[in-house]
Amino acid sequence: MWGALLRLGGRRGLSGGVPPPAAPWSQVVSEAEKIVGYPTSFMSLRCLLSDELSNIAMQVRKLVGTKHPLLDTARGFVYDSRNNLQMRGLVVLLISKAAGPSTAELSFQHNMVSGIYSSQRSLAEITELIHTAFLVHRGIVNIGELKSCDGPLKDMQFGNKMAVLSGDFLLANACTSLAQLQNTKVVELISSAIGDLVQGIYYENSKSSEENCLTDDIGISTWKEQVFLSHSALLAKSCQAAMELAKHSAEIQDMAFQYGKHMSMSHKLHSDLQPFVKESSSDIMAFSLNCAPAVLHQEFLGRDAWIKQIREAQGKGNIMDYKKLQEAIKAGKGVTSAIDLCRCHGNRALAALESFPPSEARAALANIVYAVTRFS
Amino acid sequence: MALRWGWWWWRWRCGASARRAPPPPPLGSVPGPGSRPPPPALGGAMCHFPQRSSVLSFPKICNIFWRFHHTSTSQMCSCSKTVSDEKYQDPFQLGRKDLKNLYEDIKKELLVSTAELREMCEYYFDGKGKAFRPMIVVLMARACNIHHSNSREVQASQRSVAIIAEMIHTASLVHDDVIDDANSRRGKMTVNQIWGERKAVLAGDFILSAASLALARIGNTTIISVLTQVIEDLVRGEFLQLGSKENENERFAHYLEKTFKKTASLIANSCKAVSILGCPDPKVHEIAYQYGKNVGIAFQLIDDVLDFTSCADRLGKPAAADLKLGLATGPVLFACRQFPEMNAMIMRRFSKPGDVERARKYVLQSDGVQQTTYLAQRYCHEATREISKLRPSPEREALIQLTEMVLMRDK
Repeated sequence: MWGALLRLGGRRGLSGGVPPPAAPWSQVVSEAEKIVGYPTSFMSLRCLLSDELSNIAMQVRKLVGTKHPLLDTARGFVYDSRNNLQMRGLVVLLISKAAGPSTAELSFQHNMVSGIYSSQRSLAEITELIHTAFLVHRGIVNIGELKSCDGPLKDMQFGNKMAVLSGDFLLANACTSLAQLQNTKVVELISSAIGDLVQGIYYENSKSSEENCLTDDIGISTWKEQVFLSHSALLAKSCQAAMELAKHSAEIQDMAFQYGKHMSMSHKLHSDLQPFVKESSSDIMAFSLNCAPAVLHQEFLGRDAWIKQIREAQGKGNIMDYKKLQEAIKAGKGVTSAIDLCRCHGNRALAALESFPPSEARAALANIVYAVTRFS
Repeated sequence: MALRWGWWWWRWRCGASARRAPPPPPLGSVPGPGSRPPPPALGGAMCHFPQRSSVLSFPKICNIFWRFHHTSTSQMCSCSKTVSDEKYQDPFQLGRKDLKNLYEDIKKELLVSTAELREMCEYYFDGKGKAFRPMIVVLMARACNIHHSNSREVQASQRSVAIIAEMIHTASLVHDDVIDDANSRRGKMTVNQIWGERKAVLAGDFILSAASLALARIGNTTIISVLTQVIEDLVRGEFLQLGSKENENERFAHYLEKTFKKTASLIANSCKAVSILGCPDPKVHEIAYQYGKNVGIAFQLIDDVLDFTSCADRLGKPAAADLKLGLATGPVLFACRQFPEMNAMIMRRFSKPGDVERARKYVLQSDGVQQTTYLAQRYCHEATREISKLRPSPEREALIQLTEMVLMRDK
């Protein structure tokens, strides 16, 4: 089965026709972990076992029964492996291995385990730390907007405190590890990635108030810019940084960046499309009105018509009938358009991989692309 | 080392027996080259101060120090002035040129497309802060440059360090205000008060990332390591504040450690960073670091005192803030020696109604404020002693003046 996947993983593109059969996500991940030498779910374990975070973990228990988002974030770490736990780190490790040893100095070849330099492993961990820090920082609540149904004020304040502290702790650890890499270009890249991520989350925030169901009037190109910041920049720049650590050429660095960028764009599109491609009609998933299919739908339909559809779905009680809205979107061109866009990015990611020599690691990276562009 | 002797001072004040006292601090020890002799009134007493055989004379020494402090804080200042042969200059004037465009330059680092995010990030860089930290950094840079090569010019990289230090400091302030649910700072509303906690946290993260970017651009991996240490220390300091110790002596050591991490580390490490950029001699780096560390601790101690003695208008933020946050600072810890009933309040972090008021009264009745102030003076002396090892210069004198300004500030 793995051999078959390897053969298929070489050259196949995604446009038109049926994409090659992609393995289930969990299989892709576990095969990839074997390639990089150990289960990546143990990355950052060292950090998680620190006194400070154990302290936080104990305190977070007090939040059980409250409505603070930190609890969900914490639960997500444990239970939600479908949310691609540690996926970014895994990709950084794979691309490090796929690029192979440094062509620069021979002395560089030491310190390699399973074909990956220890500095690159450290970078993978740093990427995960940063991603996690922002998952945590996303879960802060605005005290001024709380209502009595949200529970006691002091619980929310306490949750905020824990969220800020633990996020800061993870970021500080990331900064310290970055400094230890002794490479100023890498620090520059990753620092700028953090800045991008903040801006991306900032845009997310501005649109997340579901109360005001009117969406922003953005076109797909603005959507892409914003999603690049919030979902792609970190991985893209980490991939590039991994290449810099092994002193690979500027071309290879750029290809790694392109892979990271396009693969994560595909991933986001894939995730946005889930409510629209799933067959089961029992579970109506709420979706963001600024998801890709909705944004594309608006582009085809025109803003006025779209707003009208939203109002119709809102009905009298101002409660959104997501099923109705979903159907309206499915009836238009938004969904197919988003699927095409997803595959387009997938192809660009695969094209970037062409610059790397064929290997298990490269095949695994291709398999990840197949998995996030599969819609059946 | 500064922490150790601070703790030692605490033990001595508690009348602890000399049996457990750690090795004596280097006060009154042989002065380094170019340093000034200690002020005459204290000279004799200081030599005896740390020795174990003087256990019996401790109360006497205590008396001398006590009276000395009460009668003549300003006298101490004039002692340093008369010994120095450099002209008296206001430190802020001296550093003014270098820092003139500090806030403008910081804003350039914060270029971001979203208007609101930029507004939030620039909120505290309005030029109304004390700019105390960048001032020290710039003066230290000059002092080290002169020491090494007689050049007074501040290098671009050293100036960057001043900018980076101020940005890191501000980022931590923004997060601290969310953690403490504060609603005013520097005489105006906090970022979280105006824009909400979610965005405030993001703004703090952005400022930090911009600082980190600027740091990388200096292109020096040693400097990156030195200043990154600050980021780690700031966070660990916050965590230290979460916990509390039962044992009184542990409590004080814990307090000093937290003070170092939250306040002094930034100043110490930025001083060290500019000294590394200006001079290759590791001894100079250590001097810069020790100066920064001691001044930083003194600064925080006085801050903790002002929380009791000043009123809200002057401070720009609410007073008795520390007590309300459940924090037992220097004055409280000293007061607890005289009023053991405070122990229970400290352990429950002043959470019962009326605790804050009661604690405040106890502190003001006790000698807690005076003790803490005195301890701050000792740290300032240590800072002065260290910096005096550098070649004389207007900047070196300014740094000494600065220690006195730390002691005399009222906001």
